[in-house]
Amino acid sequence: MCDESQNDRQMREIWQGQPTEGVRMSVEQIQASAGSFQRNIQWRNAREYVAAIAVVVFFGWEYSRTPDLPARIGFGLMIAGMFYMVWVLLSRGSGRPLPEDAGRSSFIEFQRSELVRQRDLLRGVWRWYLGPLIPGLAVLLATSFNHAIQAGHAFPVVFVALFGVLVAAVFVGIAMLNGKAARKLQRQIDELDEAGR
Amino acid sequence: MPDVERSHGTNFADVLTTYGAALERLAFAYEADPETRRDLLQEILIALWKSLKGFDNRCSLRTWIYRVAHNTAASHVSRQLRMRRQIFVALEDLPEPSDSREGEDAAAHRDAVARLYELVHQLKTLDRQVMVAYLEGMDAVETSEITGLSARNVATKIHRIKHVLAQRFREGGRDVR
Repeated sequence: MCDESQNDRQMREIWQGQPTEGVRMSVEQIQASAGSFQRNIQWRNAREYVAAIAVVVFFGWEYSRTPDLPARIGFGLMIAGMFYMVWVLLSRGSGRPLPEDAGRSSFIEFQRSELVRQRDLLRGVWRWYLGPLIPGLAVLLATSFNHAIQAGHAFPVVFVALFGVLVAAVFVGIAMLNGKAARKLQRQIDELDEAGR
Repeated sequence: MPDVERSHGTNFADVLTTYGAALERLAFAYEADPETRRDLLQEILIALWKSLKGFDNRCSLRTWIYRVAHNTAASHVSRQLRMRRQIFVALEDLPEPSDSREGEDAAAHRDAVARLYELVHQLKTLDRQVMVAYLEGMDAVETSEITGLSARNVATKIHRIKHVLAQRFREGGRDVR
């Protein structure tokens, strides 16, 4: 017992007695850094949405150059779906700075709320990610299918049908992967709950 | 007192003086790479600066500071984990020391610190927090407040930490220094 407490003391002395560099930032520098740090986070978040913006630009361009009304409706629905998706990501997505009340929560509380947020995003992937794209895609596919039939050639009809099946398969695959990731997060949440009990 | 020095009733310069070294050790416990560690420390200090306006004396200032620091560092680890795919283990799953002579070679204080960090860096976040709190001399109640672990779980983990440290640093009854 005496050995153990002596060892404890020595370990703490070693840990606490280690040389440190010292905090090199002044209070003024920390305050100034807080502003630029926030800008860095906003810039990092903006980069995450570049792909979505590129898709919106593409569909916007297609929308403007097609005279076909059903196709324009399809492109418009796709743009609306993308905007909704980006809005959900912006309001509930990743890359959020640490909340200012982080000192009110223990690690388990803090981590749990983060995991629950991420799990709910993954679970709701049909609602905010895949679902909003379906109406636009369905209209565009139906329009393409209709055009292919009117042209009277079998190959384009088969091509459009196969494309539809491929899109459906990709959507189901994305949903399954997200479901798997959500279940993994749920296991981590359960572990935290157990540790807090 | 100028505004910049006083963060919402708490003198931030005093916070830096009192807890600066401990926060550096905490950053060291989460990040081995020196450059990234400086960034992490900066991130912790900024988070502290911003958070102190919400400090309401419902817990001690020390608990508040460690909560913010650990929560910031844990977010940092999550980000790094996504990039590096590093694997962390629980205290119970730490591998046995591979060479019993290692203790003899770790006589110097510097080596002991390096080995402590080697150990800490392998741990999962919660276990790492308990280990850091233990080494900083915090009691079980404060460790429980910072981590959110139940008192029973903190006691179990501290027991395990003592065992691991004794096993690794007092091989054959020899002292670490």
